Amino acid sequence: MKQQGLNLDTGSHASAPKALVHRQRFIKDLIRDKYLYLLLLPGIVFLLIFKYYPMYGLIIAFKEFNIFTGISASPWVGLQQFERLFRTPDFGQIFANTFIISAMKLLLGFPAAIILSLLLNELKNRMFKKFTQTVIYLPHFISWVIFAGIITIFLNPVDGIVNYVLGMFGAKPVSFLTESSYFRWILVFSDIYKEIGWGTIIYLAAMAGVDPNLYEAARMDGANRLKQMWHVTLPSIRPVIIILFILSLGNILEAGFMQIFLLYNPLVYDVADVIDTYVYRKGILESNYSLGAAAGIFKSVIALVLIVLANQFVKKTGNEGLW
Amino acid sequence: MIKTSLGEKVFHSLNVTFMILLTIAMLYPFWYLTMYSLSDATLAASGGMFFVPRGFSLAAYKVVIGNVSFLSGFRVSMIVTVIGTILSVFFTATTAYAISKKRLRGKTFFSFIILFTMLFNGGMVPSYLLIKDLGMLDTYASLILPSLIGAWNILVMKSFFLGIPDELEEAAKIDGANDLTIFFRIILPLSKAVLATIGLFTAVYYWNDFFSTILYITDKNKWALQAVLKDIVSNASTALQSQGISIGYQRNVSENTVKMASIVVATLPILIVYPFIQKYFAKGAMIGSVKG
Repeated sequence: MKQQGLNLDTGSHASAPKALVHRQRFIKDLIRDKYLYLLLLPGIVFLLIFKYYPMYGLIIAFKEFNIFTGISASPWVGLQQFERLFRTPDFGQIFANTFIISAMKLLLGFPAAIILSLLLNELKNRMFKKFTQTVIYLPHFISWVIFAGIITIFLNPVDGIVNYVLGMFGAKPVSFLTESSYFRWILVFSDIYKEIGWGTIIYLAAMAGVDPNLYEAARMDGANRLKQMWHVTLPSIRPVIIILFILSLGNILEAGFMQIFLLYNPLVYDVADVIDTYVYRKGILESNYSLGAAAGIFKSVIALVLIVLANQFVKKTGNEGLW
Repeated sequence: MIKTSLGEKVFHSLNVTFMILLTIAMLYPFWYLTMYSLSDATLAASGGMFFVPRGFSLAAYKVVIGNVSFLSGFRVSMIVTVIGTILSVFFTATTAYAISKKRLRGKTFFSFIILFTMLFNGGMVPSYLLIKDLGMLDTYASLILPSLIGAWNILVMKSFFLGIPDELEEAAKIDGANDLTIFFRIILPLSKAVLATIGLFTAVYYWNDFFSTILYITDKNKWALQAVLKDIVSNASTALQSQGISIGYQRNVSENTVKMASIVVATLPILIVYPFIQKYFAKGAMIGSVKG
C-alpha cells in the first residue's frame, strides 16, 4: 500500500526535484499523524523540562553559581569546583564509602537473587511457589522510611527485640546503628532483604523460557538436580545475568541514598557518608550548589564509564551486550 | 522415567523448608509490629513478647488517628498519590502509544530522548534549582510533576501496545475513526492490565516518596506522610508532646506503641491494594526489564 502510494506520488511530480518530493511527503506524514504528535507532545515537554533542563543545569558545576543572576549569567570558573571537591578532607573517605557499600551490595546481593531464583524454580507445588513469590515481592513495595523505622526498632539497644534475644544468651546490649563496624553490614543485609524477592522476577521469567527437552536430555545423561541447574539453567539465563550485571555496575555509585540517609547518624559518618548524602548536605542544606553539582557529575560520569567498559568487555567475550 | 533419588528428596525438603523460613522472615517484622502496637504499652515493654499481643489495647491507634500532623501527612499523600497516579498513567500511555507506531516520523529520535533519561540525569542540585526557579517550592506540584513521566514505564506500555494487533486500528480507520478516537475508544479499554500495573507502581512510588518532601517542602503542614512518619519514628515523644500528650501519663501508650501503630497505618493502603494487582505486575516488570 505504502510503497504504491510513494510510486504514484513520484510519478505525478516526475519533473520536480527529489528533495522537494521528500519534503512534501514528510509534511504530508506530519499532517496525517497530527493526532499522534498531539499525544506525544505532553510527554516530551515533561521530559524536556524535568529531565533535560536539570542536565543543562549541571553546567553550574563549571561556574560559580549565583542564586540571583541564575544559571546562564553566573561566571565560568573552569574546573575549580572539582578541585574544591577533591581537596575536601573527607572526600577520599566518602568516595571509598560509596564504592565499598555498593560493591558489597553487588557482590552479595547479585548472586543471592540468582540463587534464590534457582531454588524457587525447583519448587514443584505451584500454589506454594505463588505464595512464596507473593510474600517475597512485598518488601519491595514498602518504603525505606518504614524499613528504617523497623530496623531502628528491632536493633534498639534498650528495648529492641534483637538485643533481647541476644540477652537471653547472656550477651550485652549492642548499639548496632551507632557502631561503625556493624553499620555497612546492616545496610547490605537490609537492602538484600528488601529487594531480593523482586530481583528474582526477571530470572524466573528467563528460566520459564528454557526448553524442557534440555532438562530431559540432561536427566538421561544422569545429571541430578544440582548438575541440571549448573549445566542447563544457568547457561540458559546467562544473557539475562550479563545484562542485569552491566546495569548494576552502572548503579555502583548509587549505594542506596534513601536507605543510608534514613539510617545514618554522625557517629557512623566515617563508614556511611556517601557521595549522594554529601551532595545533599553540602549542595542543598548548605546551598553549595556548584560544589554539589560537581559531585553529582563526578558520580554520573564514573557510572557511565563503568557501563560502557562493562558493555565492551561483555561484547569482546562474545556475549550480547546492552547495545 | 527415572525415579527420584534419595538425594533429590532431601534437596526438595530442604528447599521447601528454606522457603517457609524465608516467608516467615519476610512477614515476621510486620507481624511483630502489629502485635506490639496492639499491646498494652507497659506489658509489652517488659520484654519477651514475640508472637501474640500482651494485654490488648487500641490506645496507640487512637493517638495516631488523633495526631494532627499524621492526619495531614496522610491527606497530602492521598491527594498526591491519586492525582499523580492518574496524570502519570495517562501521559505515560499517550507518549508510549505515539512511539509505538512505526510509521511515525521522528520516532527513533523521540525514543532516544526518552531512553537517554535512563542513562543520565541532572541529579539532586539542578533538579532542586529547577523547582525553585519554577516557583514550585512548598507546593504539591513539586511532589507530583518531577516524577510524572518515567522512561521505564513508557517502555513497558510501549511493548504492551506493540502487542495489540494492527487490524483493530485499520478496521477503526475504515469506519472513519482518527488516531485520537482509536486511542481513547479502542486502545485504552484494551490495556487495562498494563494501566493497572503501571498505576500500581506509580501509586506505590508516590505513596512511599519521602525525598521530594525533604527536598522541596519546608512548610511542615504540607509534608507528605513518609516525612511525617520519619519524624514520628525518630522522635515519637516530641511528635506527641506537640499535641499535648505526655506519654508518661497516658495509660497503655508508649513511644514504641505509637511508632509501631503509625508504621502499621502507613503500610495499610499498600497491603490493601497489593493482593488485587499482584497478579499483573510480575508480567509488567518482565516486559520492561527484558526488553529495556
